[in-house]
Amino acid sequence: MLYQALIVALIVFITVGGQELLGFTMLGRPIVIGPLVGLALGDIQTGLLIGASLETIFMGVVNIGGASSAEPGLATALAVAFAIHLHGGLGIALPIAIPLGIIGLQIKTLLYVGVVGPFASKFDSLASQGDQKGITRLHFGLWTLQWFIYALIPFFAILVGSSATQKLLEMIPTVITNGLTVAGNLLPAVGMAMLMKILWENNISVFYFLGFLIVAYFKVPLIAIAVLAIIIAVLTAQRDYQLKKMNQDIMQRPALTDNSGSQEELEEDDFFS
Amino acid sequence: MANKQNDLSKQEKKLLKQMYWRSFTLFSAVTPAKQGASGFEYTMLPFINAFYKEDEARKEAMVRQMSYFNSNVALAPFVMGITASMEKENSLKPGFNADSINAIKTSLMGPLAGIGDSVFWGVLRVIAAGIAVSLAKSGNIFAPLVFLLLFNVPIQMIRWYGGRLGYTLGSSYISKLYENGLINILTKAASIVGLTMVGAMTAQMVIFKVKWNMVVAGKTILKTQNMLDQIFIGLVPLLITLFCFYLLKKKNVSINYLIFGIILIGIVLSMLGIA
Repeated sequence: MLYQALIVALIVFITVGGQELLGFTMLGRPIVIGPLVGLALGDIQTGLLIGASLETIFMGVVNIGGASSAEPGLATALAVAFAIHLHGGLGIALPIAIPLGIIGLQIKTLLYVGVVGPFASKFDSLASQGDQKGITRLHFGLWTLQWFIYALIPFFAILVGSSATQKLLEMIPTVITNGLTVAGNLLPAVGMAMLMKILWENNISVFYFLGFLIVAYFKVPLIAIAVLAIIIAVLTAQRDYQLKKMNQDIMQRPALTDNSGSQEELEEDDFFS
Repeated sequence: MANKQNDLSKQEKKLLKQMYWRSFTLFSAVTPAKQGASGFEYTMLPFINAFYKEDEARKEAMVRQMSYFNSNVALAPFVMGITASMEKENSLKPGFNADSINAIKTSLMGPLAGIGDSVFWGVLRVIAAGIAVSLAKSGNIFAPLVFLLLFNVPIQMIRWYGGRLGYTLGSSYISKLYENGLINILTKAASIVGLTMVGAMTAQMVIFKVKWNMVVAGKTILKTQNMLDQIFIGLVPLLITLFCFYLLKKKNVSINYLIFGIILIGIVLSMLGIA
């Protein structure tokens, strides 16, 4: 049992964590994890079949930036492990996988908000000190920490068994998990505020509210907003460019007739500059 | 394009290669507040070290590149290429408007994320998975490999060439823009796109729903969320974001306090049964 727990935890660490380390190369998808766990536990065909089935079920689920409905990687690893151990097929895998997918995402969010989240300001202070080694160490250290903790779930889940696992997860007060979910939904406000600090200028601040209004009321996809904003930006840039050209023309005119050198024109020059 | 790539110096080619490899780790340490900031910084470090010789300028660039970044991973190297070429301009030309670097970065990341997510995650991944699933169901053990190759070969090509394209476009066009004095116009235009996107992302990503309703004698007489929506949809997220912005800009509050404050608010609201 210890071997099984270790190997499945390692696979979750390498695939689900590895997908985050290696730019969403899709290592953490059920279709990859299923056969891998199957191979490690000596039944690749079961792994392949369960992986394929779960891939279809979780097809719509993509884990980008925490905005998702489930974490299919952990679900697949545990479903395949339990299915092989209990000699059951897809029938036993499905009821295990679906709740685990949802719980897995909650734990992932918890780690993301509670463990990695608070380090955002540490990165800022390291940058202002010019500590490149510190940034690199923290960048990879946080990844290791986050996915090490995450990999402990399949480790203990397999060691203790599925029913005990479910009981343990139910022990966390729902008030706390709910509160962290509420906080997780609100936290992007901090990131937005930091972007606003960079971009905000009073004379163009109305565009912030324009973007907000359109999405809040019309639920327009971001890509459409982007196109709209680009159109506005192009129009503004064209107008600014024309104004600039007009200014330059006015500035240049006296300079072109400068050869005559009359007093009047010099005064005119002063007037426009 | 081919000609311009040959113009790259040996050192620049090496830097671009480093950018390709380092940019894999963009989302290694994702935080809700800054997303891929540390990965972006890690990717930019070789460029910063190559371009800036003085410690102060180096630190400034490092602080600049540690800002919020969230985009599609396949298209991120393109943004990184442009950013790197602008850092180069900034290091060579005194009086370069360094704010324009973040303005351009921010205005690009949203639209590219929209395009990338729908094309690569929505279409390419689904096609690759569909083919692999049918192979797996017939017992073919190469199904995972087929899936990974179908998905990653196009993605890696876009990442490799996108970074180079961004860098060469950036260095040639942006220096010309700078000489003409057009960079201010471009920065303003980019800031308009950036701010609009930030507003749109605020509405989409900052989420708050009131669960608490006014109940008298077992009857719900007032649904708080409905009432708030009647005033203005997204009122609470908007106010919270503006308040964070106010605290950051006017009060110089550390983002750590903001993050912990929001976590605390979430738990308290949950305990009170409000959210």
